[in-house]
This record gives sequence, structure tokens and C-alpha cells, in this order.
Amino acid sequence: MKHLLTSTIGALVLATGVAAQDIAIVTPYLAQPGAQALIEGFETRAAEKGWEVNTIDTAGDVAAVISRMEDAVTQNVDAIVIHIDPLQVTPGLQAAADAGIPVIGLGAGNDPLLVTNVTTNGYAMAAETAVYVADRIGGSGNIVMFVFDPFPPVQIRGVVADAIFGNHPDINVIDRVTPDVQDGGIADSRAKMEAILAANPEPGSIAAVWAAWDQPALGALQAIEAAGREGEGIVITGIDANPQARDAIAAGGNFEASIAQDFQAIGFKTADVLEETLNGNAPGVPSIYVPTQFVTKANAAN
Amino acid sequence: MSDRLRQSATLLGFALIILFFAVRLPDTFLTARNLLNISQQLSMLMVVAATMTIVMVMNDFDLSVGSMASLAGIVAAVLFVADWPIWAALSAALLVGLLGGVFNGILVAVIGILPFVATLGTLTVFSGLALYISEGTTIFGRDIPAEFSGFARGGIPLEALGLERLKIPALSLVAFAVIAVTWVLLEHTSFGRKLYAVGGNREAAHLAGIRVVRVRLIAFALTGLGAAGAGLMFAARVASANPTQGAGLMLDAIAAVFLGMTMTKRGEPRVLYTLVGVLMLGIIDNGLTQLRVDSFIREILVGLIVIAAVVVAHVSKRRGK
Repeated sequence: MKHLLTSTIGALVLATGVAAQDIAIVTPYLAQPGAQALIEGFETRAAEKGWEVNTIDTAGDVAAVISRMEDAVTQNVDAIVIHIDPLQVTPGLQAAADAGIPVIGLGAGNDPLLVTNVTTNGYAMAAETAVYVADRIGGSGNIVMFVFDPFPPVQIRGVVADAIFGNHPDINVIDRVTPDVQDGGIADSRAKMEAILAANPEPGSIAAVWAAWDQPALGALQAIEAAGREGEGIVITGIDANPQARDAIAAGGNFEASIAQDFQAIGFKTADVLEETLNGNAPGVPSIYVPTQFVTKANAAN
Repeated sequence: MSDRLRQSATLLGFALIILFFAVRLPDTFLTARNLLNISQQLSMLMVVAATMTIVMVMNDFDLSVGSMASLAGIVAAVLFVADWPIWAALSAALLVGLLGGVFNGILVAVIGILPFVATLGTLTVFSGLALYISEGTTIFGRDIPAEFSGFARGGIPLEALGLERLKIPALSLVAFAVIAVTWVLLEHTSFGRKLYAVGGNREAAHLAGIRVVRVRLIAFALTGLGAAGAGLMFAARVASANPTQGAGLMLDAIAAVFLGMTMTKRGEPRVLYTLVGVLMLGIIDNGLTQLRVDSFIREILVGLIVIAAVVVAHVSKRRGK
């Protein structure tokens, strides 16, 4: 009976349209775990608020994001949420602005046409892991970097790490690898690391592996273990602290640290900020940063 | 009779799709704004699919168009960064497309490698070149001239027709121009007739005095040029150049030509039917987005519709024999 009552009230609220906001989320990256977690966080909080959310994935196609944003404008949604670099979708942002529809960034980037962007500070995350590596190896030794410059949020991590390693005269970056990510990033990173290990056979000739995200760090770990070189003290760090990485860090091997973005919290925060915006209280700042957590063996299991 | 069924089944399906969306989305689907939007959204695919039709007329195809589109965008952007004038950077990018197409043509027509293998190889080469030239990064922001990205936002205003704040998008105009030129080339020139002759029977075409190698070479060059043009349109639309951004164009272009082939008399590619194929793909995408169908389900549906059209065409063709 109680259930029936709740459903009836819910249906009435939806039917009258009092609380139901119509929100479109558009991204080309839904296949990636990070994007999924961000969007699930948003959807969870949006469901609590009774919003109608339409999540649209364009399977990697950036121009299609613009197209789908235009479609959402045609549909006259109440707001659009994007998870993509806003600089690549200016016509879509402009279409929304012309129609007076607010657009908010969910782990996106900065743009004057966005209400705001809720995210973590990618520069800061890369700085934390790179400084950890530099300190752990005493500011001296050969480092292998795994980067991915075609994807702007990952590219900025590499830039920061370059600066930090470049600031240590005794640190030598022997390779800056861009792995093929079509297989998810682990397998190709492992193959690349195996080749680098083969080219540097002397124990101690590689002091650390800094990876711009977890998959290459896991691939490098597999390569080091398969080569029987796990005892050399090669330090590995990743970024994102995905479950597989946490397991590896908790095991206490070479993979020592990663950094966790609380994707769900970013999603929650985005929905809350959007609600405020729809109530006429836009945050008035270009970015809202959600805190991150440095993950080592001590807290990896949490 | 069966030929007519085959020809009309896809068109009928297309009409039903439009009717379905028009009924379900009475306020937003068949509006001038939405239709103009669709034409702009599909403009890059129209160009790639139209020029893909040129090689598919000869039963060849080109898998490298997507990576050529990415490469052309990157070439132009890198030259913008090097302070080249816009016209020079765009010309250089189109030249790269033409030369890439000629290279495909040499591999296929002169050396005799299967198009699948040759263009699969050049797909990787072009994609690698785009990554190498750009150092893997996306070129955007102030590096892309405002006049270039502004072109994609421009168009012919329709205020005179009483349509406030609406315009025929510049990208749509480019796409229609490319389709018109391709149509004239394929349907109204001796070069076009030679292409269809080569497609009908290569050996017979050769015996009839058609210089098959030259015809195929030119056809691949034009497809490369079209891909590069689409890549530049893409870069203007997203105001940036990414070394992988054109990758999605290739399969959609081939799917559009196949859809078009289900509507022609003998199952041969015709550019106006390719256009219908492109519109089908785009309208399904637009309508299903507006109906809030899950994007993954949307992909499945698009694939199934392509398969259904081809199956109906295939079965009715067999019955007709």
C-alpha cells in the first residue's frame, strides 16, 4: 500500500512536471571506466532529484558530440552536461547558449560558454605522483614514462611530469612511450616495457616507471615480473587508482602508488551544482575541484 | 517486380522511419532548424561517402578515408601553427589527400594489390603520419584561425524567408556542392561511364579500349581528395585537429554506399542514393537521440537496419534471377 502511494505521488510529480528536469549528458568516452563512473555518479544523484536523464555516447566521435548537443537543444532540454574538452565542441555550446540552455562540464575543461566545470585537478595529480617517484629514487636514475598526448586530460599529466623530472639534473627519462590503447592499454604497455627491459638488461638501469594512468603501470608491472626483475626496486606509479591497480598496490610489489579521483563524488557535485544553477544560483567560478586521494599500500584496500 | 520491390523496400523503410519520428516528435523533428542541423551534422559524411562511391562504382573500396581525413586536418593545423595563410594550408592539406589517393591508386591499379589490403596498409600509414606530425597531440585554441573555424559556423541567413536566426550551414553547402559535382562526374561524363564499365566487367572494359589503370588511379585520387576535404570540414567544425578524429567516417561511408546500392536498379552504387543512405544513418541518429534511446541500443539498431536493407535487397535479387 505504502509502495503504491509512493509510486502514485511519484507519477503525479512527474506528470505535473514540477520536479522533473530534462537533462542530456553527451560524451564520446562512455566506453571508458572513468567516464562511466562519473556519469553513474551524476545519474544516481539526478535520480534522487527526480530528473529525467538521457545519456548519449558518440563512440569516440567528437563532431557527433556537437551534433547530439544540437539535437538536445532542438529537444529543448533544461540543461546539458558534457564530458569532453569543451574547446572541441564550441558550435554545440554556442547553440545551447543561443537557446538559453545551461551547459555544465563533468570532468571536462574550461570554457567561457560553460556554467562551470566540476573536475579534479589533473596537473596536481600528475605532480603528486611524479614528485613521489623523484623522491623515492633519491632524485637520480633512469625513468620510463607512459603518456598519451592525443587525449587532452592525460596530455596535461605528462607535461607536469616532464617538468618535474626535468627539474632533477640526475633524473634521465630514457623513454617516453605512447602505448596503443585499442586493447585497453595494458597489453601493449607490457610489450613496450618488455622491449625496454630487454634494451636495458643491467640491474638498476631502470629506476622507475611513471604512468599517466593505471593501465600502462599495470602493463609495466607485468613485464617487470615476467622478466624476473621485480627485485631491482623499480618504482611504478599510476593515476586513477582503479580496482586492478589498488589490488596491485595492496600486494606490495613494484607498483607503489596511484591517485584516486572520486568519480562518484564528481558526479554528485555536478548534479548539485546544476540544481543550484537551475534555481538561479550559478556558481560563478570556471572550475570546481573535487579532492583526490593519494593511494599507497597503506590505504589501497580501503 | 522483384527488382522494383528490392529498389523500393529501402526507400519505403526510409519513409517509414521519417514518418515514425515525425509522429513521435511532432514539435521538434520536421522543423527547419532540425533539418538544417541534420544537414550540417552529416556534411562531412556526405563528402566522404560521395567520393567513396566513385571507387565503389568499380567494385573497389578505400579503407583509408578516415585516417586521411584526420591527416588532412592535422596537416592544415600544423601549417596554421607555422603561420601559413589559410588558403595555402588548406591547399596543402587537399594536395596531401590527392597524393595519398594517388598512392592508393598506384598500389591497387598499377601494382595490383587487393584494395582491402592496400588501403588497410595506407590506413595505418596515414594514421601514423597524423600522429607523428602532430606529436600525438590535439591542436586547438589559438592555433586554429578564427576565420577557419568561423566558416563552419557560418552560412546563408534565411531571414528573408521568415526563418529568424536560421541559416543554411556553410558545411552543408560544401557537401551539396561535392555531391553535385560527383553526380555530374559519375552520371554525365565519359569518365563516369568508364567507371561503371570497369565496375561491370573490368576485362571487357579493357578490351573495349578503356585505360583501366588510369581510370582507377584517378578514381582513388578523387576519393583521397574527398577524404581530405571532409577532414578539413571536420577540423573547422570542431575548431581543432586531433590525429584520430576522422576514424569514424570510414565505416559509416561504406555503410551509406551499401544502403544506397540497395535502392538502385542493378544494385550498383549511385551517388544520389548514397546521399539517401547518409540521410538514413543521420536521421536515425538524430531521431533516436531525441527519443532518448540509449546510445548503445542506437548503435545496435543502426547496424540492424543496414543489415535488414541489404538482406531484403539480396533476397529479392536472388528471387528475381
